Amino acid sequence: MATVAEQWVLVEMVQALYEAPAYHLILEGILILWIIRLLFSKTYKLQERSDLTVKEKEELIEEWQPEPLVPPVSKDHPALNYNIVSGPPSHNIVVNGKECINFASFNFLGLLDNPRLKAAALASLKKCGVGTCGPRGFYGTFDVHLDLEDRLAKFMKTEEAIIYSYGFATIASAIPAYSKRGDIVFVDKAACFAIQKGLQASRSDIKLFNHNDMDDLQRLLKEQEIEDQKNPRKARVTRRFIVVEGLYMNTGTICPLPELVKLKYRYKARIFLEESLSFGVLGEHGRGVTEHFGIDIDDIDLISANMENSLASIGGFCCGRSFVIDHQRLSGQGYCFSASLPPLLAAAAIEALNIMEENPGIFAVLKEKCKRIHKALQGISGLKVVGESISPAFHLQLEESTGCRERDVKLLQEIVTQCMDRGIALTLARYLEKEEKYLPPPSIVQDLQNKIKWWQW
Amino acid sequence: MGGGDADSASPIGRAQMGRGRCFLETAGVEASAAPQAGRASEAGRMNVGVAHSEVNPNTRVMNSRGIWLAYIILVGLLHVVLLSIPFFSIPVVWTLTNVIHNLAMYVFLHTVKGTPFETPDQGKARLLTHWEQMDYGLQFTSSRKFLSISPIVLYLLASFYTKYDAAHFLINTASLLSVLLPKLPQFHGVRLFGINKY
Repeated sequence: MATVAEQWVLVEMVQALYEAPAYHLILEGILILWIIRLLFSKTYKLQERSDLTVKEKEELIEEWQPEPLVPPVSKDHPALNYNIVSGPPSHNIVVNGKECINFASFNFLGLLDNPRLKAAALASLKKCGVGTCGPRGFYGTFDVHLDLEDRLAKFMKTEEAIIYSYGFATIASAIPAYSKRGDIVFVDKAACFAIQKGLQASRSDIKLFNHNDMDDLQRLLKEQEIEDQKNPRKARVTRRFIVVEGLYMNTGTICPLPELVKLKYRYKARIFLEESLSFGVLGEHGRGVTEHFGIDIDDIDLISANMENSLASIGGFCCGRSFVIDHQRLSGQGYCFSASLPPLLAAAAIEALNIMEENPGIFAVLKEKCKRIHKALQGISGLKVVGESISPAFHLQLEESTGCRERDVKLLQEIVTQCMDRGIALTLARYLEKEEKYLPPPSIVQDLQNKIKWWQW
Repeated sequence: MGGGDADSASPIGRAQMGRGRCFLETAGVEASAAPQAGRASEAGRMNVGVAHSEVNPNTRVMNSRGIWLAYIILVGLLHVVLLSIPFFSIPVVWTLTNVIHNLAMYVFLHTVKGTPFETPDQGKARLLTHWEQMDYGLQFTSSRKFLSISPIVLYLLASFYTKYDAAHFLINTASLLSVLLPKLPQFHGVRLFGINKY
């Protein structure tokens, strides 16, 4: 090492250049050539090569036939023959001018035409107007929103809650906020369409297990555990989620939550529980499937529900621990980029919560009525009731399918029309058939083939 | 359902599949023909606090206005700070500048992966280093050339000021190689011995 006293003289430096070792100068020459090469190289993309020759490209372009802008559709497509409802749907509904008993609306607690809700909504309408005209982050947060979030968190006994303005968007925004590429989600095959869209948006690896089959789920979790042991570094950065519904929309059954919680702690996955149909229905005070099974709410990482069923409002909410829910305030796409819930609907939801808290007896009444209806419908020849006896939403399926889905649909539509003539409003279960086929086992979709839904009041 | 796109079976879909798919998907950025693409009007814009459609802003950081100058000034500052330490001689200072610069470059460009913020593409770049993310994987863009040339220039200067001493040569050359090799297009996405893979 040179001493401090050594002078730095340019002449000495240049002299050192002349006396430099050959290998060093050769390396420097190569580096200068490298610089020149870099300066003159072209930018290119790494996967630029196309394996098709120009001729092949021309051929492919010739072959291509554009799909028609309006595909041919049969005359009796349900979307072309809709029923027109006049007046507010409540216990009775006026369909095509005829008054029927309403078995088609999701009005579990009968709050759709409750005068208290209407009064609260009207008061809010007079105070705040109709819409909020802004997302939550852009002057769209009103005091009613914060109140409703507070009330929902207190009701569900969680730390925090967050409100979405559209029920479908709630779970479809919540899932991709936490689960990203490279994460693994174990989801039930009978998950509703909103969950499917959320999973699709999340770009995660989806592993489907048979409906309510905990052995199948355990098998999948075990397989994943073996994979993780082979590659522990990858496992350390992979998040695992289990997405289930409290009360399944497609089958009317309740998920086995105690086993799920056990599996969660054993295999280190997080549970996202979608409680759209079980909120305000199950449990002693209507808190959903966690109260129904007596499970500590902190065991569930995220509860998501929509307020369009029991609460007779619009929108949805998620509730859970603070640090979980807080993340959605910036990452929940439906929260940040949609206008917030109209204040009159939030006020109506608060009033509905008030009613639920004041009369905890209505849930027992609801369960009783469900059991009665289930029993009453058991004996119908040719139709079977699919769903739990305490589920207000269940399906009637044909006992024997005619073999073709379209014919089954026609038959059930006939039944629905006949019932409507006799003053009972029913509806077929509607699916986006092409979209739902993304679910790997098409057999499940066929099993839930063409039901009539009777939504219990 | 999975991380990939759903390709239709149409002829155009088949043509797209012919392009091959490596596990690092890059966005469709037009390859420019000119060797020095020059500072296009987009390149200098810093999209801070404005609405922009850039899916991964990390890719455009090294193209922002003034960042090359800031980089040069930072290296100069490092050199001046090292020069002000009284017991380092000139050759030692230059070698230290070279080594510290290359170490910092290696850590920030070739070790740290992903983005410090959440991106709308659900984490497409979570396994990519900043170098691999630059310009969405487009090779030999101006920023990449600048960042490849700057350690070489520093090395040439360091060689001159160390009077081509053998010990300094070894240290500087090793440091330079450690920072030049990851920049080759052949090393895009390569993780040797599985280090830093996840």
